[in-house]
Amino acid sequence: MEIKVLAFAGSPRRGGNSETLLDWVLQAMEQEGGVAIEKVVLTEANVNPCRGCNACEKLNKCVQRDGMDYLHDRIVDADCLILAAPIFCMGICAQAKALIDRFQVFRSRKFVLKLPVVAPEKKGKRMGIFLSTAGQNWDYVFDGAVPTVKCFFHVVDIPDRDIRYLMVNGVDEKGAILSHPSAKADAGRLGRDVVRELGTRMGR
Amino acid sequence: MPVRVLGLSGSPHRHGNTETLLDAFLEGTREAGAVAEKVILRDLAYSPCRGCNACHKTGNCIVSDDAIPLFDRILSSDCLAVASPIYSMGITAELKGLIDRAQFLWARKFILKTMYFSDDHIRKHKGLFISTAGLSWDNVFDAAFPAVTAFFNTLGFEYYDNIIANDMDRYGGIRGHPTALAEAGEKGRSVVGVIARLHGE
Repeated sequence: MEIKVLAFAGSPRRGGNSETLLDWVLQAMEQEGGVAIEKVVLTEANVNPCRGCNACEKLNKCVQRDGMDYLHDRIVDADCLILAAPIFCMGICAQAKALIDRFQVFRSRKFVLKLPVVAPEKKGKRMGIFLSTAGQNWDYVFDGAVPTVKCFFHVVDIPDRDIRYLMVNGVDEKGAILSHPSAKADAGRLGRDVVRELGTRMGR
Repeated sequence: MPVRVLGLSGSPHRHGNTETLLDAFLEGTREAGAVAEKVILRDLAYSPCRGCNACHKTGNCIVSDDAIPLFDRILSSDCLAVASPIYSMGITAELKGLIDRAQFLWARKFILKTMYFSDDHIRKHKGLFISTAGLSWDNVFDAAFPAVTAFFNTLGFEYYDNIIANDMDRYGGIRGHPTALAEAGEKGRSVVGVIARLHGE
């Protein structure tokens, strides 16, 4: 059984630091074999912000028709969900925040309607990865993003214990991550570890 | 000259809990003699920051849309009230989209050093964050503060106060909250008094 990986490149800057970090993780996953990867570039995915209408609390679906129609089933079906996004102004970039807020439909399903979000055989087996980069060197630069990212994963049945993080600060200009001393090796190790862990969980 | 107050409503949901709390604040400022205006972010057309960093060299944003004249209005206000509900433990994508677009001002201030706010300017410009959250958790606003702090810093406003109310789901909305709306009105009256006194010095 192939491990399905759905990866979101959340940055508006193509080929920038957070997307490079994501590509390193995906390369390492691919090298492990048996992995089907779909990478979604968020700026091209046509995901609008949540309207806050709360209709999903009754309808169990979103009233908006956009890129989420395509992504919904893939989010539910993935064994591993990856979000890569840079920090802008001490928070996750607005493009990624829009995707996270659109997960409200899953939150309504899980907590309001009390319906299952993932298939029973996948429950407790899925994993999430958050990859981020920030220009500032401050060690607290990711603090505003992490609680939001936890919501993103929690509502699709990926609890804290199954979330992995790789967050690299002090990289601002495009390509800065290429000269970071450990980011590439850390990303490779993370990709391999997660694929091996998922393989074990899925009984491979 | 009256104190100028600008309220930014970052909720996609018109006349919901957060906008109602903002309205109570703005009404308080008017009672104290201010000229207060409200901008509904969802009615404006602006795109999120593209992260191109062109502004780091020029000090200007390459995107020309409703965000640019809004920043002019913000910078000519004495008091800025930034309002957003908490979605997924953070501010809405609409408000974050606007905050990220302040990058050209950040670049003027910190990279190009063509924009500078004196301590006296910052003291006379007050920023307030107005928010509501459905959840009862004490920490439900914590992840929103850093971006709001960065926004006020960039724009030369002192981060003066918060008007925040959690547990909306239990109260059945802001109108069911025992103190929030009265507190917002009182804080509106009081901040205008403080700014007017600073102007008189």
